[in-house]
Amino acid sequence: MIAEVIGEGYDLDLDITRDTSFAEDIEIESIEFVAFGELLRETYDERVDLVAWFGEMDVDQIIALTVGEVVDYVVRCTS
Amino acid sequence: MTTPLDDAVAIVGMAAVFPGAPDLDRFWRNVVEGVDAVGPVPADRVDPVFFADGDQLDVDRFYCRRGGFIDAAQPFDPTEFGIMPIAVAEAEPDQMLALATATRALSDAGFGTGLDPTRTGIILGRGGYITPAIGRLHQRVRTAHQLAECVRELLPDLPDAQIAGLRGQFQAAFGPPHPEASIGLVPNLVASRVANRLDLRGPAYTVDAACASSLIAVSHAVQELTAGRCDVMLAGGVHHCHDVTLWSVFTQLRALSPSGEIRPFDRRADGILIGEGTGIVVLKRRSDAERDGDRIYALIRGVGVASDGRATTLMSPTVDGQVLAVERAWEAAGADPATVGLIEAHGTGTPAGDAAEIATLRRVFDPDGADPGKRQPVGIGSVKSMIGHAMPASGIAGLIKTALAVFHQVLPPSLHCQEPHPDLAGTRFDVVQSAQPWDRNGSPRRAGVNAFGFGGINAHVVLQESFCDRDAAPRRGIQVTERKGWAPPPMFVWAGERVDDLVSVLEDEKRVLAGALPAGPEGPVRLAIVEPTPKRVALARKVVARGQAWRGRNDLWFSPEGLITQGGKVAFTFPGVEPTLAPELEDVSAHFGIVETEAPVATEIGRHGMGIIRVGRLLVEAMSRLGIEPDVIAGHSLGEWTAMIESESVPPEVVDLFVGGLVAGQLVLPDLVFLAVGCSAELAREVVADLPDIVVSHDNCPHQAIVCGIEGSVAVAQERFKVQRVMGQVLPFRTGFHTPMFQDYMAPFVQCLGGLPLAAPRVPLWSSITAMPFPSDEDQIRALALRLYVEPVRFRELVQNLYADGVRLFIQPGQGSVVGFIGDTLREHDHLAIAGAVPNRSGMEQLTRVVAALYVEGAEVRFDQLLAMSRADVPAVCSPPAAGRSGDALRFDAALIRGSLQPLDLGSRPSSPLPEGEFGATLRLIEEAARVVMEAAEHSSTPTPAPTAPTELRWRRRFTVEDEPALADHAFFRQPPGRSTLADRFPVVPMTMMVEVMAGAAQHLAPDRLVIGLQQIRALRWLPVDPPTDVDITAAFVGTDHDRVRVSIDGYARATVLLGDRYPNPPETLDLEPLQDEGPAPQNADQLYDERWMFHGPRYQGVSEIRTMGRDGVRGRVTALPAPGALLDAAGQYVGYWIMVNASEDRIALPMRIDRIDFYAPPPEIGTQLEVTVRFTEVTVEDIRADIELVQDGVLWGRMASFTDRRFDTTEPLFRVILFPEVNGLAEPAADGSWIIGEHWRSSASRELVMRRYLSGPERAEYAQLDPLAQRDWLRSRVALKDAVRAWLWDRGAGPLYPIEIEVGVDDQGQPVVHGPDGVAPRVRLTLRAEDAVVVVDEPTPTSTSVRSLSHSDTGR
Repeated sequence: MIAEVIGEGYDLDLDITRDTSFAEDIEIESIEFVAFGELLRETYDERVDLVAWFGEMDVDQIIALTVGEVVDYVVRCTS
Repeated sequence: MTTPLDDAVAIVGMAAVFPGAPDLDRFWRNVVEGVDAVGPVPADRVDPVFFADGDQLDVDRFYCRRGGFIDAAQPFDPTEFGIMPIAVAEAEPDQMLALATATRALSDAGFGTGLDPTRTGIILGRGGYITPAIGRLHQRVRTAHQLAECVRELLPDLPDAQIAGLRGQFQAAFGPPHPEASIGLVPNLVASRVANRLDLRGPAYTVDAACASSLIAVSHAVQELTAGRCDVMLAGGVHHCHDVTLWSVFTQLRALSPSGEIRPFDRRADGILIGEGTGIVVLKRRSDAERDGDRIYALIRGVGVASDGRATTLMSPTVDGQVLAVERAWEAAGADPATVGLIEAHGTGTPAGDAAEIATLRRVFDPDGADPGKRQPVGIGSVKSMIGHAMPASGIAGLIKTALAVFHQVLPPSLHCQEPHPDLAGTRFDVVQSAQPWDRNGSPRRAGVNAFGFGGINAHVVLQESFCDRDAAPRRGIQVTERKGWAPPPMFVWAGERVDDLVSVLEDEKRVLAGALPAGPEGPVRLAIVEPTPKRVALARKVVARGQAWRGRNDLWFSPEGLITQGGKVAFTFPGVEPTLAPELEDVSAHFGIVETEAPVATEIGRHGMGIIRVGRLLVEAMSRLGIEPDVIAGHSLGEWTAMIESESVPPEVVDLFVGGLVAGQLVLPDLVFLAVGCSAELAREVVADLPDIVVSHDNCPHQAIVCGIEGSVAVAQERFKVQRVMGQVLPFRTGFHTPMFQDYMAPFVQCLGGLPLAAPRVPLWSSITAMPFPSDEDQIRALALRLYVEPVRFRELVQNLYADGVRLFIQPGQGSVVGFIGDTLREHDHLAIAGAVPNRSGMEQLTRVVAALYVEGAEVRFDQLLAMSRADVPAVCSPPAAGRSGDALRFDAALIRGSLQPLDLGSRPSSPLPEGEFGATLRLIEEAARVVMEAAEHSSTPTPAPTAPTELRWRRRFTVEDEPALADHAFFRQPPGRSTLADRFPVVPMTMMVEVMAGAAQHLAPDRLVIGLQQIRALRWLPVDPPTDVDITAAFVGTDHDRVRVSIDGYARATVLLGDRYPNPPETLDLEPLQDEGPAPQNADQLYDERWMFHGPRYQGVSEIRTMGRDGVRGRVTALPAPGALLDAAGQYVGYWIMVNASEDRIALPMRIDRIDFYAPPPEIGTQLEVTVRFTEVTVEDIRADIELVQDGVLWGRMASFTDRRFDTTEPLFRVILFPEVNGLAEPAADGSWIIGEHWRSSASRELVMRRYLSGPERAEYAQLDPLAQRDWLRSRVALKDAVRAWLWDRGAGPLYPIEIEVGVDDQGQPVVHGPDGVAPRVRLTLRAEDAVVVVDEPTPTSTSVRSLSHSDTGR
């Protein structure tokens, strides 16, 4: 899914783990986050609201966001 | 009135040797610090035997024991140097000093190469005194003989042989005779030797006018320059003569100070002290100096010379003669003597001299009854108080001191005047006691320098500060300066034909980690890794193995066939205002030596706006150096400003105005909130559709839009977006741009853009408002630029349309979100979007990645430009030299110096001790002089890296009819002879002269290359030459191949000049097709001018034959005249003539642009005849275009494509008035006896023609002051009144009458009053109606009302 957002083929260099950082490792851009959030919502459902979740965070937290944290969030929302 | 110099000459270099001051720096320091360089006579200069106390007036006993001597100031070790070659030893020492000083002065002026010796001369003041060498000769010849005769008388028995031996011994004391060196005794050689050594071919001579010599030398030099005979002149004076005969003369005259003090203007002054020295200034015409970016110490505005005539005695000065000289100088300067701020007086410190000089100064500068308001204090002083009286060199000492005072804006002190002369009491003159700042008092700083010589020869020079003030604000824009080192990160870059080859290359990890740049043939398969690590190499292997393009993640780029290789275009997409501040990028400017300066900006948004523009321009320049140029330019939001600038839609010369207008401090902006939302513009539009005063202002990309509106609506919208799970963020600035709500705030922008010339973009420019390319029409560009403020940004569509247009690479010159928008929009499409700057890397680091990315896509980038620059690559500093000298290193052409110094050989050691006594010191001076010159030669002959040519030059040029007298023949309007000024005739620079100026400018940048053509020549507005116009000229290479130079005569014209190493071969086929309906022309060449079809005077009457004419062209013959631009102008005259003959209205047409000129041969010699074929390609109501061929001896010499004349809307009656104004008018008689005058012009351009046709100088000045809206009716009323009165007078039998001969004023009631020639003043009544004006003219009443002229009282200066 991340690969889809950042562009096909760019997953080669990434062994995406829970510790992979969106900003640093994936070099994701803010608009890609929007697309990513959209994709999550389509894949799961309305309960996965990245926007609302980001609203609770400050900028540094968003920058430091890792794949693991997003996974936990999605699990929380959908469980 | 004498011919004013009008700032014509600039002092651009100086050098001096005076007591206490071996060089210019020390001289100025001494002057400022008030150092008294006078001292006791050194025993080795004048034998002490000649001095005696007491009051006797013996011819060989001197009562004064003090003076100014230079030897103490010359630090050197005599043993370090060998015997002087005979030529030097025998010559007058002043020759070597003059040579050294001239060399230093030229060096100070920055002359390395570029001195044209054939147009350079030297004139020095020098007295006919007994100087050391002639003194030696005198002793060797006459004294030896006298000695022998004397001995023979005394000792008659002494054998002749012994007497001869004695004589021989005496002579031997002066060294062996050297007949071959006798030339060194000729006095004028002081100038000739300099000319000889430096190979100057202009005049080289000395003048002797006693103490006035130096200034008269300056006067001569100024004449050489203003007459155009020379381009560079050295002028000054030399005096190195402490000969006992000179001391005797002044002792006999009782002129030497018994008290041993020289106290100019002190009541105790009792005489002079003798000094010495050499001073030389380098002079150029001001226009040349400004063109060449010289540092200008001061301008010489006027020189006056006068003799006392039949004075009472030759010795006592007369005030009348001095006054005459001073007044002549100020008259020549065209300046009010009251504006003087500093006077360097002759100031000998003799009672008679001081009294006379004070009387002179009072008469000229402080006359009785002078306006007390103008009586600001004037500093006076004399450098003689510090160095003594250097006789013929004293004037140049004063001039150099004063030029430095003007330059440094300091009033320098004068010494020993504790008790000012009683005649100074109550005058404006203050003897300056200590250095003080020199404040300007309403006029430029001006100073006068006096030098009054024995025998009643007086000279005065008026100096003025240069407006190219050393404190002038740094020039804006991009200038080239020295580069600093920066090392790029390691990179591995590879290019080849096959992916398989790359795979095997990547096997060798070590090799990749070591980094490499591509070498050899460059195939389509490309890869770049910046800062390669084992992890990145491993990734590269995977990427390459898969064979699909990889663009940038992990600093890796790979492409089996790059986007550019596939034909993709490169777009620069400039970012707009973003929440983050513009980056600094100092490393980029330092690396490339790009200096940016900017005006301070008051507002936050202004700073922001300036910041993005600044960064954008910097990165564009940097990328250009790196070989990256855009095919298309666009901008996001306000990034469109930068885009307009970089595409040159905003011409470079008005960028400052443009930016200044956009970010002006007083802008009032609406208080509207921007909310960026993470959804499509469609969704955003739905969300805000029902809310008041809120709109979608930006459609950035599928996943981002921005809404903008009043706070309340934005708050509601924000909640709604949250509900829709759309991210929203309020932006930290409030401008309201891109919304209809901004409409009410447009006025300042409309005003700013309305006044600026805009041009068709040089590089295709796309609009983010229309998502389409910009129009090319100026008015449409302006309209679109204004729509930017009030219409939404359609960036998503823009990117899609660019993609559809073939753009595959998007570079964002700056930081920001634009690359993100592009990535989101083109998610599914193969493209590259890369930022030129990013927050987490330095500017150069990111540019390195841009270069890598572009290379991989197939661009021809310049990796070498990324590397740290070696010294040899450092480009020259091209801005005008900074204030102060930039090191004393001589920058002479090495060959010139070497060639000039062949006779000198200082290699051998001395075989005998240096002579002692009075000659020793002078010989040491010779050595010093020779050493300086030799060092210069050695310095120059040291192998140095070939200097890198500058890539950009800027300078200022003054366009004046004095420098180009022929321009008096390029004046549009015929005016009454004797009753008009040249300005009334409106002389302007022909467009074709601007072509020559621009070609010359490019040649300046690339002196070794030929100008083989120009393209995109645009004349933007008239460049008038009376009064003179000062214009900045810029020349800059385009790209890196140095084949094209973009030249701008800022605000007036621009073009791209094409350079080559040889002229291209001319096409063999000429335009010989018959013209349509070809037949004889109605006029022949003489009639063209005699019948006033063309306004040109003789020096621009280049059409020598009009052979035939047809419906689509003209054929004729032109003569190459010497006037600037005359040849091409003559060819263009056929265009103007043809439309006059073939059109029934709008018959006036003047050249405005030429799309391209190609030259196939060097400029023809003066007098050459060329065949011309003019072929019209397009004739519209607005302009006429023609292709013009010029053929010399059957071979095409040059071709102008789309030579375009603009047509000025003029009716037939107006056309007749413009051509034959003295017998034509616009007034039509009405049935009731009144006169009706229609408005025969519509456009503002034609209005200007009418304005200049009808108005006199004072009227034009008044017109210029009016609000543009008021100008129209004001002009209509003037034209109506003038023409009604002319018609009325013609009815009464008057002869020819020009419009400017009718003066229009208003009386106390505001009613118009007119005055014609010979005092005729009919009564007039004017009614302005919508379409025309009605004027009733009546005989004057006996008592006419008092007239208040409408013209401004011409007092303000």
